[in-house]
Amino acid sequence: MADAVIVVALLLVAVSATAAVAVRDPVRQALVLSVLGVVLAVLFTVLQAPDVALSQLAVGSALTPLLLLLAVHKVKRRGRKEGRHR
Amino acid sequence: MNGWILAAAVTLGGGVGATVWGVATGPLRRRAVAQNLCTAFACPALLLLSQGYDRPSYVDLALVLALLGPVGTLVFARLLADELAEDPPSAWGLTYAAAAVGAVVVPALCVAVGPSRAMAKLLVVGVLLIGGNVVASRALSGGFPEVRRG
Amino acid sequence: MSRRVRLWLLAVGGGGLATLFVAAALDLPAFGGDRHPYGDRAVHASLARHTANVIASVNFDQRAFDTLGEMTILFAAVIGCVILLRQTRDEHRDRPAPEKVARPVRRHALLVLPVALLTGLYVIAHGQLSPGGGFQGGVVAATSLHLLYLGADYRALERVRPVGLYETGDAIATSAYVVTGLAGLIGGTAFLANTVLPYGTFNTLSSGGTVPLLNAAVGMEVACAVVVLLARFLDQAVEIEEGNGK
Repeated sequence: MADAVIVVALLLVAVSATAAVAVRDPVRQALVLSVLGVVLAVLFTVLQAPDVALSQLAVGSALTPLLLLLAVHKVKRRGRKEGRHR
Repeated sequence: MNGWILAAAVTLGGGVGATVWGVATGPLRRRAVAQNLCTAFACPALLLLSQGYDRPSYVDLALVLALLGPVGTLVFARLLADELAEDPPSAWGLTYAAAAVGAVVVPALCVAVGPSRAMAKLLVVGVLLIGGNVVASRALSGGFPEVRRG
Repeated sequence: MSRRVRLWLLAVGGGGLATLFVAAALDLPAFGGDRHPYGDRAVHASLARHTANVIASVNFDQRAFDTLGEMTILFAAVIGCVILLRQTRDEHRDRPAPEKVARPVRRHALLVLPVALLTGLYVIAHGQLSPGGGFQGGVVAATSLHLLYLGADYRALERVRPVGLYETGDAIATSAYVVTGLAGLIGGTAFLANTVLPYGTFNTLSSGGTVPLLNAAVGMEVACAVVVLLARFLDQAVEIEEGNGK
């Protein structure tokens, strides 16, 4: 019955990963990727790999969304400026 | 298979499953709240797993999630301040429900662990989780009123 | 080479790879079994060197050379980002005005910052005892510093983060890893051999020989690398504008 938790975690990862691909807008994708990171960390914990889970939590919770959103912010700012000049 | 792992499976399937659905569909307002609540449900699940597998070192995972999960939500709250201001998310009912899950799980685990350093660590994780959850919700619903340049 | 020849080459190579993959997959042990020949030997070696966290022993002792490669990959990636995101001649810096942040958010950020920094250092220091280690703790510590940006604004962060210092720290930490490895060579065994320090008492902070030292070096390297990386991204996103100034 301990496999029930493994099955739940695997299903969550499958659904989140599919959602991450299906969502097209980068900002919304960053939100889904953040949730995917947490769910992946839970999967690694359930498969008894806490070091990998800790790495995933450390990187995926704040660092990856920050990098993505800063890139989107920069591109939007440049687009807004060019729009104004035109 | 014991009660702790079953409780963790229920929290994951119900709580985190609902946040996965919430973050993939709907307006930006709902997605941001779902991302915030994902931390609030996953952290108690990790604590329950740590007790269920009888490995106290897994509490470190819950500690790091309780610290960095709200930081992730603050990232979204700050860098999406313009877009969220048009349609501010306010899901205080859900936030308090998620905080209640944490407030039930942490004392239950403290009782199971007994007075020791491990209990102090659990209490720290609980405080960080609930405090971070509430502050991150506050940040999403108008915490950055005049952020323009980011 | 024409397009058809290229596609044929791809098909042959891909077909060969697929055959090898299928042959290997059919020979794998079942999921969740209890036959782990490599795992048994790794755990035995780790316990012989009094390292409680077997992953740390594998990363920093048995396969320390691979970790040196991973660390230099991160170092090179950060160098690449610094070069790509540097301020060019047709850009100028435009300092943003201080931003207003709600008080509970600011208070929370300033309270959690030292706790998160301490947690990062705790994870680095206990790498040889519990799940964690240099990489994980380094990223946590670097992220905690950026709570200053999220809870206040970019100018507050810039004040506590002289980027040149962190770039130097990154280079020093990478060199420290290599020098610790050279100590093994000079001590008469091999590069990165875990024979220069006593193994210590099992499950205490001073155990595992050179594992805590390499942990600390990687922790410092990763923290500095992440801070420099985020500094370049933040500069481009918040400060640097196109044009030669107003």
